[in-house]
Amino acid sequence: MMNVKSGQGSSYRERTQEFSSIAERLRKSFPSLNAGVSANNVGVGVGAVAKRTSVFDDPTVEIQELTAVIKQDITALNAAVVDLQLVCNSQNGSESISSDTTTHSTTVVDNLKNRLMGATKEFKEVLTMRTENLKVHESRRQLFSTSASKEPANPFARQHPLANRSTANASTSPPPWVKNSSSSSPLFPRKQADGESQPLIQQQQQMVPLQDSYMQSRAEALHNVESTIHELGNIFTQLATMVSQQGELAIRIDENMEDTLANVEGAQGQLMRYLNGISSNRWLMIKIFFVLIAFLMIFLFFVA
Amino acid sequence: MKITALLVLKCNPDGSSDPVILANATDVSHFGYFQRSSVKEFIVFVGRTVAKRTPPSQRQSVQHEEYKVHSYNRNGLCALGFMDDDYPVRSVFSLLNQVLDEYQKNFGDSWKAVQTDCSQAWPYLDEALTRFQDPAQADKLLKIQRELDETKIILHKTIDSVLERGEKLDSLVEKSSDLSTASQMFYKQAKKTNQCCTIL
Repeated sequence: MMNVKSGQGSSYRERTQEFSSIAERLRKSFPSLNAGVSANNVGVGVGAVAKRTSVFDDPTVEIQELTAVIKQDITALNAAVVDLQLVCNSQNGSESISSDTTTHSTTVVDNLKNRLMGATKEFKEVLTMRTENLKVHESRRQLFSTSASKEPANPFARQHPLANRSTANASTSPPPWVKNSSSSSPLFPRKQADGESQPLIQQQQQMVPLQDSYMQSRAEALHNVESTIHELGNIFTQLATMVSQQGELAIRIDENMEDTLANVEGAQGQLMRYLNGISSNRWLMIKIFFVLIAFLMIFLFFVA
Repeated sequence: MKITALLVLKCNPDGSSDPVILANATDVSHFGYFQRSSVKEFIVFVGRTVAKRTPPSQRQSVQHEEYKVHSYNRNGLCALGFMDDDYPVRSVFSLLNQVLDEYQKNFGDSWKAVQTDCSQAWPYLDEALTRFQDPAQADKLLKIQRELDETKIILHKTIDSVLERGEKLDSLVEKSSDLSTASQMFYKQAKKTNQCCTIL
């Protein structure tokens, strides 16, 4: 790709040199175009370098240098193109030249401007890609930072096992001290080989996170206890609410029963009266007898 | 959830010489009869190694085959526990703490002068070994958490029964209101029957 670009650049350079040699008969030349071509190549180089960053050996310094160089080149190119534009306009305005030359010069200027725009766009893409990579690295670093931040003393001795593990399983996120505690079993067979500094360093790396985890687990257990007690309090409150609501229900039932009692007693009184009224036969018999006699009288009077 | 052994050792602060055993309690009943003595030796050896490699005022847990060895070194007095993998780590260390406190209370500072392995048995350690097979005994936090969980379950059951009681009370309310209406009708009927036939 770089070859093609340089090839295009060289052919373009020939054309512009031809044009500038033509225009040089009228005004000055444009040496900045060569710089433009080299900047294009450099931009491609930065893109390639930014793509191949890894966690630990990223060429930050190189990238920053290249970025600075490219920025300078682009600003210089911009200034040059603006000058060219001005000169072109002044040339069109001042002397009377054939329309072919003017169109030719304007198209050349436009072409240069487009090329510059394309180069800046690519540069921007490369920069965004670099920032994304940086973000990914940062997030990965944070995954392992619980241990990395607590051992300022042995960062270097730690980094290599960490780099190996991170390249092996970058997707898992249990903190590395869990992994380290399993690596302490080689302590025993290594005891025979005896006393190099490596087991001590591993042990020490394991020690601080273990203390921490002990404290953390204690704190967590206490938190759990506290939240459980809180929930229990809530449950008790709810229980009290429900019981009070049901107490009101009980009162209603009591009222209903009292009403029922009153009604039934009243009804019973009425029925007793009725019973008394019915059970005293004599009064009724006298009334019936009188009614019968009255009918008999009327019947006898009308028939006889 | 088994504790296999509890040891108390005296460590040198520089970790150069082998630690001296001050008390030893082991439970090797689940090994065969002929393996028991070798297992005891093995425990002593492993205990010495781990205690030697535990820096002062540090806790450490080492995985060895199917056991975990936990050690807690405090000012040169080191307590070790040989446990299964299931035993929660935190309660182990609270247990070791307790053991160390007991030892300090019982023997004062006399352990500092000891240079050879003590062979006398310390009954507290044996009793601790049997008592703390259940991690809840050793760790107050675990015990509290367990009791709280039980209480929560009981409370849930209580709330369920209270809800049932609420439903029953609801049905009772309905029935009593029906009764009250019916008795009212009854009263009216009775009054009507009475009003009507007084002439007759």
